[in-house]
Order: sequence, then C-alpha cells, then structure tokens
Amino acid sequence: MENIVPMELMAAGEVGHVVQVDGSPEVVHRLAEMGLREQVRVMMVQPGRPCIVAVGDHRLSLRMDDEAEIFVALTVIP
Amino acid sequence: MPLTVAIIGNPNTGKSTLFNALTGLQARVGNFPGVTVEKKIGRIKGTAEPIDLVDLPGTYSLSPRSLDEMVSVNVLLGRQTDIGKVDAVVCILDASNLERNFYLACQVLDLGLPTVIVLNMFDVATSRGAKIDIPALSKKLGVQVVATSAHRKEGLEALKAAIAAAVPNGPGPRPHPFPEVFYAECHQLASKLAELGRSDAPSFLVERALLDVGGYLETEWLAGSDIAERWKAALVESRARLKEAGCRVPAVEAKARYAWAKQTLSDVATAPAVRAATFSDRVDRVLTHRFAGLLIFAVLMVVVFQAIFSWAKPLMDLCGAGQSAVSNVVASLIPPGTLRSLLTDGVVAGVGGVLVFLPQIGMLFFFIALLEDCGYLARAAFLMDKVMSKFGLNGKSFVPLMTSHACAIPGIMATRVIEDRNARLATILVAPLMSCSARLPVYTLFISLFVSDEPLLGLRGARQGLTLFAMYALGIVAAALVAAVLRKTIFHGETPPFVMELPAYKWPSPWIVVSRVWDRMMAFVTRAGTLIFAAAIVVWAGSFFPGDHSQEFEKQRFVEQTQATQADPLKHRAMLEESLGKLNERMAAHPPTTESERAEWQQKLSITEGGLADLNVELKPLDDARVEVNLLRASLVEQSFLGRLGHLIEPIVKPLGWDWKIGVGTLLSFPARELVVTNLGIIYGLGQDVDESNQQLWSAIREAKWPDGRPVYGVPVALSIMVFFSLCAQCAATLMTIRRETNSWRWPLVTFSYMTLLAYFAALVTYQVASRL
Ligand SMILES: Nc1nc2c(ncn2[C@@H]2O[C@H](COP(=O)(O)OP(=O)(O)OP(=O)(O)O)[C@@H](O)[C@H]2O)c(=O)[nH]1
Ligand SMILES: [Mg+2]
Repeated sequence: MENIVPMELMAAGEVGHVVQVDGSPEVVHRLAEMGLREQVRVMMVQPGRPCIVAVGDHRLSLRMDDEAEIFVALTVIP
Repeated sequence: MPLTVAIIGNPNTGKSTLFNALTGLQARVGNFPGVTVEKKIGRIKGTAEPIDLVDLPGTYSLSPRSLDEMVSVNVLLGRQTDIGKVDAVVCILDASNLERNFYLACQVLDLGLPTVIVLNMFDVATSRGAKIDIPALSKKLGVQVVATSAHRKEGLEALKAAIAAAVPNGPGPRPHPFPEVFYAECHQLASKLAELGRSDAPSFLVERALLDVGGYLETEWLAGSDIAERWKAALVESRARLKEAGCRVPAVEAKARYAWAKQTLSDVATAPAVRAATFSDRVDRVLTHRFAGLLIFAVLMVVVFQAIFSWAKPLMDLCGAGQSAVSNVVASLIPPGTLRSLLTDGVVAGVGGVLVFLPQIGMLFFFIALLEDCGYLARAAFLMDKVMSKFGLNGKSFVPLMTSHACAIPGIMATRVIEDRNARLATILVAPLMSCSARLPVYTLFISLFVSDEPLLGLRGARQGLTLFAMYALGIVAAALVAAVLRKTIFHGETPPFVMELPAYKWPSPWIVVSRVWDRMMAFVTRAGTLIFAAAIVVWAGSFFPGDHSQEFEKQRFVEQTQATQADPLKHRAMLEESLGKLNERMAAHPPTTESERAEWQQKLSITEGGLADLNVELKPLDDARVEVNLLRASLVEQSFLGRLGHLIEPIVKPLGWDWKIGVGTLLSFPARELVVTNLGIIYGLGQDVDESNQQLWSAIREAKWPDGRPVYGVPVALSIMVFFSLCAQCAATLMTIRRETNSWRWPLVTFSYMTLLAYFAALVTYQVASRL
C-alpha cells in the first residue's frame, strides 16, 4: 500500500515520487518546467519552509503559497 | 551582414562560460541561476563568415515569468529591435540533467529556426555515469548535437563548426509533441487570424499564444488594434474546446513535452543512476540548517571581515606610503604655488586617498567570488528566505541584495529575476541600503582609527571585523524593516512563492575568481581616474578659491629655503628632542636612588635642555614662519567657497557631532559616496600643517580640533558618520539605474528621499546616544 503524504511532512532523507501537484495552473506549470512534476522521484534534503528537495540530480529550494500543495508517495526503504 | 546566433538554455548551464570561450569576451559567470540578466553580443573568433553570438539570461521555458526571461524570449521571437532577426539558436543543455532540459529544447525546436543542441557540463554527466549516444541523438532530432565542457574549453571547435553549418543546413524537423486536437485547434486559430487580416503569423506564434494563458501574445501582441478583442475571445474559445477534449492548457504542455523528451531520450541516453544522499546533500543538511546554517553564515561573514582588515592592512600602509612619496616628489619639483597645491592637495590627496583602499576592494571581491563560485551563495539565499518571507520578500530577493553588497547597480539589475512586480520594486528600493564596496573606504578609515586591533579570542582584528560586520548588518536590518513597511503600504501583496534551483557545490575556479577580482579592481581604478579625479579638482578649487594665497606661498618659500640652509641645526634639534624624551622615560622608569645618581641625571638633562634652547633661538624665525603658514592655510580654507558653504550648513550637521568640514565633505559626496574620502583629504590637506611629514588623511582626522581645542573626532562621531554613510543614497549612478529599470523618475526620487532622511535621523540618534554613554 502506498503511503501518500504532503511534501511538507517528508523527513530529511525520505524518498518518494510525486503523485499530484495542486495549485494555481501557473504555479503548477512553472514547477513542471523546472522539473517538479507528477511521477518524478524526489528526496527531501532539508525539510521546513522553505525546503530543499532533490529532483533527480538537481536541488530545488521551494516555499509554496497557501493554496499550493505537492503530494508524494513515499518509497519504503528496507 | 553577420549572422546572429542566440544562446538559450536553462539557468546556470554554462551559457556565459561558452559565450566567453567562443568570443573571448568577459561576460559575468557565476555559480548560481540568474547571473546574466541582460543580453550581450560578441563576435565569434576564428570563423570564416562573421557570426555574432548573443548571450541571454537563462530561462526554464519560452513562457516567460520574469523580466530576465522576457529578455531571452523577446530576442528569440524577434521582438527585439536592436538585435534584429535571429538566424540560428544554440540551445545549451545540462548534460547531467537531460530530461528536464529537454523541455526547453523541445520548445526551441518548435520555433522552426536552425538549431544546434549543445550538451554542456559533459564532464559532470560522464563522471556521474551518464551514457549519451550523440550521433544517434543527433539523427533522432534531425539537428546537430555537440558535447562540450565549457569551463575546460573542450568541444569548442566542433561547436564552432556546427554553428557555422547550422544556417546552411536549415531548421530541423519540428518535434510535434502535442495530440492532434491541439494542432487542429491551432490550424483553426491561424485561419481565424488570416480572416482578421494577419496571415503572416508563423505557426509557432499561434501555438505559443494558445499555450501561454495571459501571456504576451494574448494580451499585448495585437493590443491597440481593433482585432485584439476578437483574438482574445478566439483564444479563450479554443482553450475551452481543448479542455473538453481532455487537453487542458497549460498543463498539456508539460505533459506533452516531457513525454516527447522521454521518448526521444529512451534508447540514446542512460540517465545517471539516481544516488541516495550525496556528499553535497550531507553538507547541505548542515549549511542550510535553520540554526546551524545561520550561525555558520554569521561566523563566516565575521571571519571574512576580519580578514579584510588584517590581511589588507600591510598593503594599505604600502599604498599610503606610496601616496606620501608621490606627494613629496611633486613638492620637491614644483615651487610653492597654485599648481603645486592643485597637484598635491587636490589630485594626490584626493585621488590617492581613495586608491589607498584598492587592496580592500580586491579582498572583498575575492571572498564574494569564492563564496559565489563554490555554490554557497545560493544556499545563503535559501537560508535568508525564511527570514525575508517575514518581511514580505523572498529568497529571490536575496541574490540581488547580496549582489548589492558589491555594488547596487548590478544588484538592481538582478531584481529582474523576481517574477512578482511589487516584490521586485520593494527589492529595488531597499537594495541601495546594502553596504556596497564604495562604503568600504569610509568604514575602513573610521574603524581602523577608532576601533582597537587588539586580538579578541586570539583573532587579530576581530574587533574591527565585528564592527564592520555591524555596519553591514545595519544596512540589512534597515532594508528588512523598510521592505516590510513598503510591502504593507505601497507595494501591497502576498509574499510570493519561492522556487529556486540550487547549483551543485564545486571547487571554485581560480580563473573565474581572479578575473572577477581583477574586473572590479579595474573598475575602481577607472572610477578613481575619471569621476573622482574630476571631482577632486572641483573640490580643490572650491576650497582653494577665492582666497589670496600670495602671502602663504611667500612664507612657504621662506620656510622651505630656511629648511634647506638650516638642515643641520634641524637635524640636531630632532636628535636632541629624541634623546631628551628617552632620558625622561628612563628616569621615570628607574627613579634615581642616591644623591650622586640624581646629580648625574640632572647634569645630563640640563646639557640636553641647554642645547635645545640654543637651537630653538636659532630656529625661531623658521618656527614662527611655520606657525604663520599654518594659520594662513587654516583661515584660507575657512574663507573659501566650500568653507562658507560649510559654515552655512554647520547648524544642520552639528547635532550629528560633525564640524563644517565633515558636513561639506559629506554634502559633496552625494554623487558618489567614496568621494567623502577625497573631499576630506583635500579640505584637511589644504588646511593642514605643511611640515606634517605624513600627508595622510588618517593623521589629519586624529588631530582635527574644534575652534575651542576639543578634538572633533571620537568614537561617537566616527559612528555617526559610518551610520550616515551606511544608510544614505549617495550614488547618482544607482539612482539612474533605478530610473532605467523602473521606467519612472518616481522611484529614484522616493529612494533618494527616504534614504537621506533615514540616514540623517539614524546618525542623529547614534551620536546623541553614543556621546552620552
Ligand atoms: N563542471 C562544469 N562546470 C561548468 C561547465 N560550464 C560552465 N560551468 C560552470 O557553471 C557555472 C555557471 O556558468 P555560467 O556560464 O555563469 O552559466 P549561465 O548559463 O550563463 O548562467 P545564467 O546566466 O545564470 O543563466 C560556473 O560556475 C561555471 O564555471 C562545464 O562544462 N562543466
Ligand atoms: Mg549567464
């Protein structure tokens, strides 16, 4: 069973893949242009507001506004 | 006509590095996104046909969100009048992150222009284990693909050849990533446009118009013409129909283009294995930690500042000695008179006084370049976002503000990366509060005079470093408060969301660091040779005229002649004075115990004193003449134009603890703040003791007195001057930049007024509080 959480709740070092990006169409589009979109693998590097996530080999720092939310399906690391 | 080739690519992929390598120019390079914010044109070296290359700001897509991205897109879509039509595009991709970069590549190929795809950072990709079959990729795309490692100048020849061949080869096939409904809709729109009388619009323009909701092509392209409304309506209808068909704009673009990217790369490139936490991530966990990170940042800054003081000190002393030497040489060549005064009191004291600070400027930029190129600066932006979002700004504002510590002009230009208009304006208005390198001379002068360099915690110069840190902190705190007020009042708005890419950590490249330091030092020297030189002459004239200097020069000539003929007695007197001092010292240290010892001391003393008294009688005419010259000089400065102006404004600056000289020196440094060092150097130089062997401003400041004999300077005055200079808008070039970047005179005026008032009141409070402690 997949464990889906909002990205804010990921702890440092946790890995997963994005299942949904909510927010205004512009924000969602911009995030996609920068590589943060559905299905990509993400790892939380520094949780908080703003946070740093690794998207593939790139690091994005982001702080969303109140309407925007990213949901991530956590990968269970054995 | 040379061909025009534009460089486009995601931010921080090495576009400017490649541009420099191909053209031999020096576009600014740095390891964070958003270094380049304005286009730059250069001719490629060593090609048969002349080719002009245009370096552009990085962009993630062709639907621009910020002004810097807009610059790039305007050039590509041929909307830039001063560049004209672009003949070909070089699309630079980060080879270590191909899939994401292919999003932009797909858009660029859709433009239907001759294109060369460059896989830069190939060294990084290879070292991470990426495998890319370049010939296969090239075949699949139908355009040339070249691998480069720009910073090592690898792959440049192949790239040049590819660029030269691109135009003759013509454009490659367009990617065609969208579902057919989309193209059908575009087709309909195109015929609609033709109906409206615009059959000239190329198909990529129609596609972009449909995709960019509220973008330029929708709102402004046809604005003003009578078909604008119908065009807008047609776009809205089209999008609605597409939505029905399950093809939602703008989401469809990301979906379609990423699918295309994936499909294109599927059998030609293996992405590097995604690794778990890397070393860089572990470093980041500490450096971006909300407490540890901020603490490290603060400590780093203090260390940098103390290093600026303790390392640059010997070099500065050397420069100062050089200045005195030049001044002495001039004095020995030219007899006393207006010309000599112009050269020594005007040019050498004025320009030289500023040039003395060159080593510190160099040090400051050395550290900035180091921190920037290793990738730390972007982390600092991340750390600051947390703080700045409380004041209505975000991490995007940090880079412009950080850049402003070097100089507010590039800082203000760098605000183009901020998407939100109000957040951008607020950042522009507070950027000049950051302590730029032109403030460094003022800070250094007063800190080295009034803050002790006794070691603190075993670190030499730590106190001075801390004081300097405090001055920088003052600018930052003021900026935060002003920004908060602005965001609550005229620039209303939510704190915008913040998304920024963090560059990878890397070893700073010595070449980038050296060339950056060199650039800035040359800029400083050039400024000293032009603006400051001219200002020095004006200020000298203002403090020399209208007085009658003939008496002063006559006396001065007499002094110099007598000094030459009486060189021996003068030397003798100096010797005796020295030994008398030593005698007294020794007596104080070991008081005589026996009667005979006392008598012996007494005898030695009286011989020396007797000798001195004789010499003083002999040298009396000389001494008197010197005193007269000094009195004359002091009174001539007081009566000069600037002296009168100074006395006029003295009541305004007196509450800050300043005398008229500081007041007028400051007033005349409004065009450029480092001029204050020049102005004070000249005003003091002209009114200073002529036989003061050390012509420098430093000693003049130490010895300056009010008419009643109290020293002018002390810690409270030094603080109030530094506070004033830290907050005041004394830079015409910055105000002009604000006017250019905001397209209105309103914002430079607002900036000037609020900063000057703020500076005055802050200096007032500082002096009144500090002098009562
Ligand atoms: N490892 C590696 N580093 C590179 C290469 N090319 C450039 N760099 C480094 O990448 C950083 C960014 O280079 P820039 O040329 O400023 O990048 P840019 O694309 O112009 O960036 P913006 O103007 O911000 O869009 C610098 O630190 C360069 O030294 C490369 O091929 N390999
Ligand atoms: Mg650049």
